[in-house]
Amino acid sequence: MEAATLTEAPARATLGRDRTDRRVELLLGALASTILLLIAGMILFVLIKALPSFTHNGLAWFGAGGSVDDQLMNIFNSPADPADYVYKLRAWPLLYATALITGVAVFVSVVFSVLSGIFIVEFAPDRLRRVIEPVVKLLAAVPSVIYGLIGILVVVPWVADHLISEDRKASVAYVIQLDGTSILVGIFILTIMICPIMIAIIVDALRSVPEKWVEGAAALGVNRWRAMRTVSLRAIRPAIVAALVLATARALGEAIMLSMVAGSVGFAPNPLDGITFLFEPARPLASTIVDNSEGLSVVPFGQTMYAFAAILLISSAFLSFAGWAARKSFSRYTLGAR
Amino acid sequence: MELKEEGARTGDGPAAEVPPLRRIVVESETVPIRVGDYAGPPDPEYGKEPWQLAAGLDGEPTWIEERMRTEGLSIAYGDKRAVKDVSIEVNSGEVLALIGPSGCGKTTLLRSLNRLVELTPAAKRTGRIILDDQDVDSFDVTHLRSRVGMLFQQPNPFPMSIFDNVAYGLRERGSKKPRRRQLEPIVVDALERAGLWDEVSSNLNHPALALSGGQQQRLCIARSLAVSPEVLLLDEPCSALDPISTGIIEETIVELRSEVAIVIVTHNLQQAARIADRVAFMYLGDMVESGPAGQVFGAPREARTQEYVGGGFG
Ligand SMILES: Nc1ncnc2c1ncn2[C@@H]1O[C@H](COP(=O)(O)OP(=O)(O)OP(=O)(O)O)[C@@H](O)[C@H]1O
Ligand SMILES: [Mg+2]
Repeated sequence: MEAATLTEAPARATLGRDRTDRRVELLLGALASTILLLIAGMILFVLIKALPSFTHNGLAWFGAGGSVDDQLMNIFNSPADPADYVYKLRAWPLLYATALITGVAVFVSVVFSVLSGIFIVEFAPDRLRRVIEPVVKLLAAVPSVIYGLIGILVVVPWVADHLISEDRKASVAYVIQLDGTSILVGIFILTIMICPIMIAIIVDALRSVPEKWVEGAAALGVNRWRAMRTVSLRAIRPAIVAALVLATARALGEAIMLSMVAGSVGFAPNPLDGITFLFEPARPLASTIVDNSEGLSVVPFGQTMYAFAAILLISSAFLSFAGWAARKSFSRYTLGAR
Repeated sequence: MELKEEGARTGDGPAAEVPPLRRIVVESETVPIRVGDYAGPPDPEYGKEPWQLAAGLDGEPTWIEERMRTEGLSIAYGDKRAVKDVSIEVNSGEVLALIGPSGCGKTTLLRSLNRLVELTPAAKRTGRIILDDQDVDSFDVTHLRSRVGMLFQQPNPFPMSIFDNVAYGLRERGSKKPRRRQLEPIVVDALERAGLWDEVSSNLNHPALALSGGQQQRLCIARSLAVSPEVLLLDEPCSALDPISTGIIEETIVELRSEVAIVIVTHNLQQAARIADRVAFMYLGDMVESGPAGQVFGAPREARTQEYVGGGFG
């Protein structure tokens, strides 16, 4: 399997390239180019649409200042005359909410998923494993609205009743209402949502680590846990990165669930508030777009939404690229031999 | 021929902490015993005496010194007994070849010597394994495995650089990781002893998996040698290799045997005859016969051995 195929691969590539092969190659090439063109066109379209919002605000677009929800309302209520369109926006709370919720959820998920992956592959008794694995794969396919529904009906009221004291609610009542919809619940449910797909990828990857590597490490007197860390986990770093990219993309794009459970208020939770910070609401970019979809016909408002979309698009493009680069550097020694 | 008894080991190295053992040095131009050379009657005492004289295949006299032995070792996978009541000793200074038909329990016996067989949940062992007069059950399994190295049928370098492969055992054994500067001389020495240094000296940071199969196998030898084992177990190390790589590895093995006790499983009787000083023949889990290579191949005592090796040299 391993080294042998490495040296044989080029030989196989030059084998019988008959005409059918060529035709299939052309067809696939054409399909791939079409898809690439479509994606490029889409990005271009979004960027052009988004341009007015960025040019009117300059770099201040990314900064903080005033209530972002009020600004959005003003944009929505712009006069009909294009010359009087309102564009003023300081999008910081939305950017911050996106980064915070996605970042924390993905970080927690990676740690949790790697540990559960190791548990499932290495330590779980067979009977448990036979139950866990299909359940994990099933969970990975559950639509996010369902998570949102459970969140709003079960988790949010529970948090409001049991975790947030009346005193705490009163202490910030003049700025914000603590009703249970919060970044805490948002991050919690988002984590639960993206873990299954990560676990599934990591379990598959761990399973494909050749037994002979683990045995080789064991035969050198390295204990099981250490061999796991230094050989198996090292070898599956490309798969972990792939899982991370996928999960981050899903988290970035998660709109419905977060708009249901995270409060849907353009507010920037302040870590200096201590514990209260966790119970403060926020609204990431994707939720902002979904929540405001009925206003898209107002030209400057639509352009503002396109600006949000552009940020998300650029982030995911950057994410894919970073993931690709990381996978490439991690695969340097693996040579695809798994 | 002149015999001298010595009370201490002359070589240095990590094995120096081993309690001193009585040994005999052979100082003479020993005549290599080759297949067919053995003229005398089967030696019934062979394998019973604590020390034997070496018949160095490369003409070099070597120390013979018991490193490991099994006492009534049996291994069963569930109900299936794969190794039955085997008692054999492994000496440094010589190469012991395990031969026998497929499925007779050679790999199982080999894997039990470093307790790697315990990775198979169904495997159950009875009998004792002694390493330097201590029962291997009495010490930590990771400690045992760093003293008893193993090479597998398929080369299995890790997906790391050549350097990191050789340094792996040293880095991951203790709690403190040594620096590259400290590791370098050991890595270079291990690569030299494995006969790979000349080929890789300029690209220690290249991926190990890009090496050829034969180079990978020698890299695995270097990886085992880096942790300075006293015993090296080789499970058909050449079966995936071409004749030239096989030749190089055989040379490496013969050179190593003055420092490390070597046990090699092989299906290739010619190979066993080329490199082994002592040969043990297994059949259906039984250790049928063991003795000097010349005797087992030239004048086997048992009919089953005769039948098996007869086929190989007919
Ligand atoms: N993991 C296992 N579970 C159950 N039975 C096993 C296992 N490994 C080996 N056996 C059985 O134990 C016996 C000895 O196997 P072993 O691999 O030691 O033979 P071998 O002499 O090395 O054979 P070969 O020359 O083909 O490598 C065989 O009958 C085999 O079926
Ligand atoms: Mg075998």
